[in-house]
Amino acid sequence: MAKNALGREIPDFIEGYGKTKPFQGAFALKPEGYRAGGKIRCVNSTCTDKRVSDIKAAIAASGLKSGMTVSFHHHLRNGDYVVNMVIDACAEMGIKNLTLFPTALFGVHKKLIEHIKNGVITRIMGSVNGPIGQLVSEGGMDVPVVLRSHGGRPRAVASGDVHIDVAFIAAPTADKYGNICGTQGQSACGSLGYAFTDAQYADCVVAVTDNLQPYPVAPVSISQVYADIVVEVPSIGDPAGIVSGTTKVTRDPLRLLIAKYASELIEASPYFKDGISFQTGAGGIPLAVTAFMKEAMIKKGIKGSFGLGGITGYFVELLKEGLVERLMDVQSFDLEAVRSIGENPKHIEISADWYANPWNSGAAVNMLDVVILGATEVDVNFNANVNTEADGALLHGTGGHQDTAAGAKLTIIAQPLLRGRIPCVTDNVYSVTTPGEVVDAIVTEYGITINPKRKDLLDACSAVKGLPLVSMDELVSRAHKMSGPTDPVATEDRIIGVVEWRDGTVIDVVRQLKTK
Amino acid sequence: MNTAQAGTLESMDCLVTVSEAASGTGVKIQITGSSAARFKSAMEKKVSEVIASMGVKDIEISIQDNGALDIVLGARVEAAVKRLMGGER
Repeated sequence: MAKNALGREIPDFIEGYGKTKPFQGAFALKPEGYRAGGKIRCVNSTCTDKRVSDIKAAIAASGLKSGMTVSFHHHLRNGDYVVNMVIDACAEMGIKNLTLFPTALFGVHKKLIEHIKNGVITRIMGSVNGPIGQLVSEGGMDVPVVLRSHGGRPRAVASGDVHIDVAFIAAPTADKYGNICGTQGQSACGSLGYAFTDAQYADCVVAVTDNLQPYPVAPVSISQVYADIVVEVPSIGDPAGIVSGTTKVTRDPLRLLIAKYASELIEASPYFKDGISFQTGAGGIPLAVTAFMKEAMIKKGIKGSFGLGGITGYFVELLKEGLVERLMDVQSFDLEAVRSIGENPKHIEISADWYANPWNSGAAVNMLDVVILGATEVDVNFNANVNTEADGALLHGTGGHQDTAAGAKLTIIAQPLLRGRIPCVTDNVYSVTTPGEVVDAIVTEYGITINPKRKDLLDACSAVKGLPLVSMDELVSRAHKMSGPTDPVATEDRIIGVVEWRDGTVIDVVRQLKTK
Repeated sequence: MNTAQAGTLESMDCLVTVSEAASGTGVKIQITGSSAARFKSAMEKKVSEVIASMGVKDIEISIQDNGALDIVLGARVEAAVKRLMGGER
């Protein structure tokens, strides 16, 4: 047992995970060696059609066997049919012991619980939410879940930490030779960013489509050089679920106040000038920050360079109005974003690798000025937890939290001080996702709390009259006073979740909950 | 058996149900809901204090919590007990 750079106890070896590398600091670990790669293929003109009859035929043709690793991407979000369809078929075909390697799972995938219980899926590397997260937290899987960020995942694949045997790509439009397009078809989802690495590194790539078009389709996201098998199914997803999950700008006065403070912090920062780039995601508070920033940009005549990450209609509006020059889109959250990425050449699709991988020749997050994030809790050292809930259950994926925090010049976590009775600012987070060294400010309804290591920001904010600055000590004591003393989370020793930092070192582990 | 309620299941509130208990059975407190995992001790303490201050010795209290702060919890318990003891229903 060793302590990592944040003082977290990390065993040298974790059953079902292997030898660990403890977290050493946000930018400490440097890679060595060469990239991994998938199997070399050779397809001649004797094959001009990669289609097979149905999903089972595709699974059989892919060579998928018990014990292998299958990957999926989550652009169809809560509307996705593909994960359940493939795993159901695997179960019927007697395939077992699969490692599931999704970019994220949603509520619609709770059906997988039966396949976890019957041994079809024995390992998950990726986020676990809702009922699957609860099951895992209570010890429902023998092997710990491995959580990686959006950048950590492609890093793990390219560096050989994870080898994908078969990648299933939900393809809103495809042709018979495997060119894939995300912006057209009844299940259009826009960007296919998360699927690129899987397509490039898997031994076999299966395109699952419900909109087969004549060869060649255009535009192409993922090209025929990666796809081995094409299968047509009646439907890959429910359009209502594909664009769900996007929240509207909050109307809650408390959250609007937080958003206003965050926007004022950005305006006070040295980054609020022509060329500013930012990422705000799709949460209620961040969207409101975008709205406030837009007003401020217009008022002060400032034009931004690009918006990054998961793209919403609000960002599309900024692009149309010339307030940003480009959108770099790894995931299109709503219909407006899907339409825009299909029509507007200034709205570009980027892969997760391009977006956030720490081990390539430079990810987009490095070019980011400002990011607004959330967290379930933040502690006095500015460490942030997005993975576990107050009761210790592992219920959320890491997303781009680590990557954008590490890349952006100004990382803001905007959050109410309490959720119900549960404080969002604590002495010590239950589990760490993102280290305080890359978090610059916390914004709550009580004001702006700046990481003391950012003296420059503190000075910039102090120079602006009326900005409500609150010290971390004051913030945490206020939270204590309102919420009262907490009981510790009762856990077993067994580790059920391994939280990797984006470089593959272990930043924290999550233990099994004691059942009452 | 006589019971009374106070509170709601709105966010940051709680629903308190109190029932008469036979003499000598003492104070029984049951807590479920969103804060129960981390605040059970603090909540039990608050409820016990309120009950004691009202001079009640035997009672069953069930709390469905949705994130109530102590000040809210105490007020809801007090209201429920007063309703049980006669006053308004």
